[in-house]
Amino acid sequence: MEMYPKEVEKLLLKVQKPGRYVGGETHAVVKDKSQVDVRFAFCFPDIYEIGMSHLGIRILYGAFNQVPYFWCERVFAPWVDMERQMKERGIPLYALESGDPVKEFDFIGFTLQYELSYTNVLNMLRLAGIPLRSADRPELFNIVVGGGPCACNPEPLADFFDLFFLGDGEEVDLEVMELYRQCKKEGAGKQEFLRRAAQVEGVYVPSLYEVEYHEDGTVKSCTPKEGAPAKVRKRSVENMDTAYFPESFPVPLIEVVHDRISVEVLRGCIRGCRFCQAGFLYRPFREKSIDTIDRQCRALCASSGYDEISLSSLSTSDYSCLNELLDRLHTWTEKEKVSLSLPSLRVDNFSPELMTRVNSVRKSGLTFAPEAGSQRMRDVINKNVTREELLHTVNIAFTEGWTRIKLYFMIGLPTETADDVAAIVDLGNQVVDAFFENKEKPRGKAVEVSLSAAAFVPKPFTPFQWFGQDTMEELAQKQQLLKTTKRSRRVSVSYHGAQTSFLEAVFARGDRRLCAVLEKAVEYGLHFDGWDDCFDFDQWMEAFAACGLDPAFYANRTRGFDEVFPWDHLDYGIRKEFLAEECRRAYQAQTTPNCREKCSACGAACFKGGLCVAERKDMV
Amino acid sequence: MQNVRIWFSKTGAVKYISHLDLTRCMARALKLSGLPVWYTQGFNPRIYMTFAMPLSLGVSGLRECVDIRLTEETGLEDAARRLSAYLPADITVLGLTQPELGFEEAAYGEYELRLEAEHPEALAAELQELLAGETVTVMKHGKKGDKAVDIKPYFSLMEWRTEPGWLVLDVKLPCSLNGSVNPNLLLEALKTLRCLEPYGEITRKRLLTKDFSDMR
Repeated sequence: MEMYPKEVEKLLLKVQKPGRYVGGETHAVVKDKSQVDVRFAFCFPDIYEIGMSHLGIRILYGAFNQVPYFWCERVFAPWVDMERQMKERGIPLYALESGDPVKEFDFIGFTLQYELSYTNVLNMLRLAGIPLRSADRPELFNIVVGGGPCACNPEPLADFFDLFFLGDGEEVDLEVMELYRQCKKEGAGKQEFLRRAAQVEGVYVPSLYEVEYHEDGTVKSCTPKEGAPAKVRKRSVENMDTAYFPESFPVPLIEVVHDRISVEVLRGCIRGCRFCQAGFLYRPFREKSIDTIDRQCRALCASSGYDEISLSSLSTSDYSCLNELLDRLHTWTEKEKVSLSLPSLRVDNFSPELMTRVNSVRKSGLTFAPEAGSQRMRDVINKNVTREELLHTVNIAFTEGWTRIKLYFMIGLPTETADDVAAIVDLGNQVVDAFFENKEKPRGKAVEVSLSAAAFVPKPFTPFQWFGQDTMEELAQKQQLLKTTKRSRRVSVSYHGAQTSFLEAVFARGDRRLCAVLEKAVEYGLHFDGWDDCFDFDQWMEAFAACGLDPAFYANRTRGFDEVFPWDHLDYGIRKEFLAEECRRAYQAQTTPNCREKCSACGAACFKGGLCVAERKDMV
Repeated sequence: MQNVRIWFSKTGAVKYISHLDLTRCMARALKLSGLPVWYTQGFNPRIYMTFAMPLSLGVSGLRECVDIRLTEETGLEDAARRLSAYLPADITVLGLTQPELGFEEAAYGEYELRLEAEHPEALAAELQELLAGETVTVMKHGKKGDKAVDIKPYFSLMEWRTEPGWLVLDVKLPCSLNGSVNPNLLLEALKTLRCLEPYGEITRKRLLTKDFSDMR
């Protein structure tokens, strides 16, 4: 019962990992297409193994397919070898469940997880044979939609997409599919559909906004037309216990990046780290109850056959009843030979008890993210983790037998000096010292501390959205400094690509004029920019030059507080004034308490959910 | 403890998953089936499974087998039904038996190669010419680098017939714990020595002992 197109059969043995392209997984949803009204191609703009690890696609795939007259199928970006074969033989991009060309679908939906996947988005449309620009698709068909974190500033994609979903997709996506179905029945056209969609909370129709620019290239105004709202507010699921969560998902036949069950335990984050976009986009902080999590874990174990559950969220150790939750799950997971894992741990939440109860990492190595080397710098970014806490934590880890510690940092943060960069290496040295001073350290094993430094990318809807990213030269100097600062022989330093971070910064805060650059880049054959073997910086610079745009204008320019941003008409509940205040505090190295300690009135309370409206027993 | 041999076929989409992926897939299905499977007793307990002969990527198998152990007496027909329910559609359980022969008894695989050809007779003639040579040497790609192999002795007893659009070859090739001959080598020879690249579908129909009786 192969569903992939017959012509594909002949090229599958000419490509790596053909299992990516055949579907046929258990719990893949196959419907009779004559019995459905709306077909949705859920496109993940990266390879199968990455897309199939993503929780969002599992949730929305389940939610859409629950409706009998909707059929959602999966589409992933073919890797370069497969793309070449498909192009040579004229095989269009197809969906895995039916094998039907993407061109035959009512909706083509992309999840926008990172800026460097934008060329893949356009390239997938091209492989599908669908006109890139929304204006070139006049019919009420092949509606191209997008959602996910990058939808918070989708302006560099504005000309290609018909509409974007802002915020949580569980409800709004279905409402728009329903509206489409209605419009089809009524014989309404695409324009009418878009006009009506723009009235749905959480739906942004870019073609209904006219953007004007100042002579210096900054945005002058963004004017809605045809009754579209001046501000588009994101959708927020109020109650995580009643929100849809799937009881099964297609279980990949080949090994994927995260080959396990993933159950979301909470949405949002209390921390307010100033560099972290997700920490602001997903507010308010909303937890699921233990009962709900337990039920969802059991259901997924019973349907998938996996033996590992990841309790996922932005910061799972902030779940208010983590120990009780683990107790509850342990009543059956051990018997069923299922292990639990936490995706990330905070330095200040690490305890030996916790470590014995979850199998978060192999004994070989532990990873923490202090993000910055000096205390001053950590205060600037509001990381709220101290050197003492870190050393306390690594000491526990050493006593418990770990000897390999990996620490993640960023360089290029606002107000960063050479001393702050050197402090990263110094912190690594102190961890090594702590090992030698620890009397209970494991015998006969050497300590290994690896420091990894990424270049900071300023993002919209964060207190650093005004900040001009360090130039690539400045970043290179800081990398050099990392390399040359005196370090213990047990410390190793690594850093990655300033060029990809630069490009990421351009598109993160870009405007609609960048659509032309993306189109050009895809014309040049650029794709998979997040993959070292495909990334071609010089070609990118050519694309910018060809469009007469300076990428540094977007990446490296520090904005004034009064500047109108390309995303100012999009409303994530977070007040711009709050972000500006946080920015000012950052520059004074003042920290802000987390949401549990004290409400900072960011604005997210407008969604009337989660911690924003919870009774705070421990607060006066 | 009951030793049990699961007989299954691996066709369709699933023929494109590797042996390692097949083992993961089988483990998930066994777990879901609720059968009293025996786990290895190491630090990371795993479901005990040993497969007879791994199939190459892209090759269908009509009668493959894997051994497991059950910790409780279990009716094999019922067990087969329970397992079937949790395997992907392209893996079919043919039945469960008590193993009679050890895997070391496996000696040959019986293969069918279907080569697409507009003129099957012409392709057959090419093949005969190819195999008429004194030796037919192809490079075998292995973990320890490439190695030259003369495949002539293995394919000389091949039977062939034609169907509209296809040349169909039947051949028994060594397939044992001591070493196997991959049927793909014939396609490799056609490609490198005759510059022909017909599209081919390969199926392993069954495993045979050294006296050409069925593995059981």
